[in-house]
Amino acid sequence: MILEIAWKNFYRQGVRGLLNACVTAFAMIALIFMLSLLNGFQAQATRNMVATDMAGGQYRAPNFDILTPTDWEDRTFSVPNLLHSLSASDKAEVLVQQGLLFPNRRIYPVQLRGIETRQSLLDLPLSKLKVYGSHPPDVIPVIVGTRMAKKAHLTKGTTLVLKWRDKRNVVDARNVLVADVVSFVNPRVDEGVVWIRLDHLRAMTTRPGEVSWVAVKKFVGTVDGVKFHTLDILIADLMALLEQDRRNSRILWVILMFLAGTSVLNTQILNIFKRQKEIGTLMALGMKANQVVRIFVMEGSLSAFGAVILGLVFGVPFIRWFQNIGLDVSYLSDSTIPVSERIFLDMHFWEVASSIIMVVLIMVFVAWWPVRKITRLDPTLALRGRAIT
Amino acid sequence: METLVHLYKITKVYRVGGKDFTALQSINLTIEPKSFMSFVGPSGSGKTTLLNLIGGLDTPTTGDIKFHGSSLGNMTSDERALYRRENIGFVFQSYNLLPVYNVYDNILLPLLLANGKNSNDHDRVMSIVEQVGLLNQVKKKPSELSGGQCQRVAIARALVKEPRLVLADEPTANLDKENSYQILELMLDLNKNFNAAFVFSTHDEKVTKFIRREVGLEDGYVKWDKIRNDAGEFE
Repeated sequence: MILEIAWKNFYRQGVRGLLNACVTAFAMIALIFMLSLLNGFQAQATRNMVATDMAGGQYRAPNFDILTPTDWEDRTFSVPNLLHSLSASDKAEVLVQQGLLFPNRRIYPVQLRGIETRQSLLDLPLSKLKVYGSHPPDVIPVIVGTRMAKKAHLTKGTTLVLKWRDKRNVVDARNVLVADVVSFVNPRVDEGVVWIRLDHLRAMTTRPGEVSWVAVKKFVGTVDGVKFHTLDILIADLMALLEQDRRNSRILWVILMFLAGTSVLNTQILNIFKRQKEIGTLMALGMKANQVVRIFVMEGSLSAFGAVILGLVFGVPFIRWFQNIGLDVSYLSDSTIPVSERIFLDMHFWEVASSIIMVVLIMVFVAWWPVRKITRLDPTLALRGRAIT
Repeated sequence: METLVHLYKITKVYRVGGKDFTALQSINLTIEPKSFMSFVGPSGSGKTTLLNLIGGLDTPTTGDIKFHGSSLGNMTSDERALYRRENIGFVFQSYNLLPVYNVYDNILLPLLLANGKNSNDHDRVMSIVEQVGLLNQVKKKPSELSGGQCQRVAIARALVKEPRLVLADEPTANLDKENSYQILELMLDLNKNFNAAFVFSTHDEKVTKFIRREVGLEDGYVKWDKIRNDAGEFE
């Protein structure tokens, strides 16, 4: 009976009730969209980092820090047999050293990243390096990414001077040839990075058999003198960045919910004010105060339920459409965030479900908050429309 | 004679603008089953307050009201709600019909409240609808009815659960002369057909022609209590 009365009253609200439900539905869609977009962003960034750099984790020289170039020369190790014997699809040996490029009479500090050409663990477009032999030629072939090429004004076929320091701390210099300019989905392996064959870099720096890290498909056991960094550790900085984005999106969501909640609250207050006589009549007919409260809360719940329905009606086509076109994030290509041109939503069932439940609960709460005073209402004043002024 | 309602030294004091206002003063009164009576008096004399106290919508400042021997003073607000649900039918000056419900649903509501859904609800509603002459209006909403028709719906709603007491607050105040007479005749008929006492509050002289007992109120006091004799005169 209470549901029936509530439904008729909700239905009677007409456009006002529909608008409330719409505002709530849009807040709900926005919340799910923001969370799913961040998930998509995170998933794609993680995927790109795994595919191009991190793999399933890295065995690194102790205290190696990619952000401290001055230490790179001191943080290398000889690849232990356990890792060296892994197949090309299960590991990639990488040696990182400092270097200086001299493009157009400028000095450009770079990271020389030597990588096995036979590896297939990391998805890197470095096939052009395979055509060269294992001994460095007079003009050493290198590959750079499009971002690096743009910044250093390099093109395919450019020859320029590269300077580096070998293991004995002797400075050496040689011409290098930009064998290819390739597009990396991960700016972190592009910006300031010069890709080179591992055997060439080892020869240039007199570090035979040495690496800075070995990327592996999965943890294969403890190795003495080498520290294994899990994927979680390796992408921690990115996750921290995305967590900040999540915090920002929560603030936006709170604002949206505040607006939607205020709309429902306003309707409820107006409802109670306008319907005092009805409340008094229901009490006179023998309805208990808490039953009257339940009618109004039920009306708020119906509004929330309507919002869920409208959310599905508007949200599903919108999300389908969005998944076809994605969000253009090409403006991020100049940053170090490892995403490609477009990102897509990554929806998690429990996140969607909890968002809907939270919206419904908030709507029911704001529907209940102003009506709770009905339990203290004097029915004689309510009948005269003077209980709430 | 059996007593339906017994009022003992009822006083009601309101706090208005920081000052006490005495609406009723030491009222002693009894109401018998199947009465057809009214409280008369000018505005502010305490008629509506008295109806509200008898109906359990309000509580007296001092004194007690007994309904069939049960004291209303000892009841919680939920118990008073149950008391109203089971025993009292209200008819209001401005009808107070639920605007979202049609005639049928408005009349059905007290039955649903009292017993939930029952198989004979439809028959009971249609029976009372017929008695108040609204058989052709059952699907209409209150906004589609005239004032007289709305008051008939209100009366039907008050009587459908067969209460022992119907309290009607100025039931003819919003009606024209013709409709007022029709409504009063209807209530008189229903008083005979149903086992319910009718108590009005009114200052409408038309009502006086129909009632069998008149209690006059002035400034919160009972000034007179007259009963119509067999010759039709008040004494």
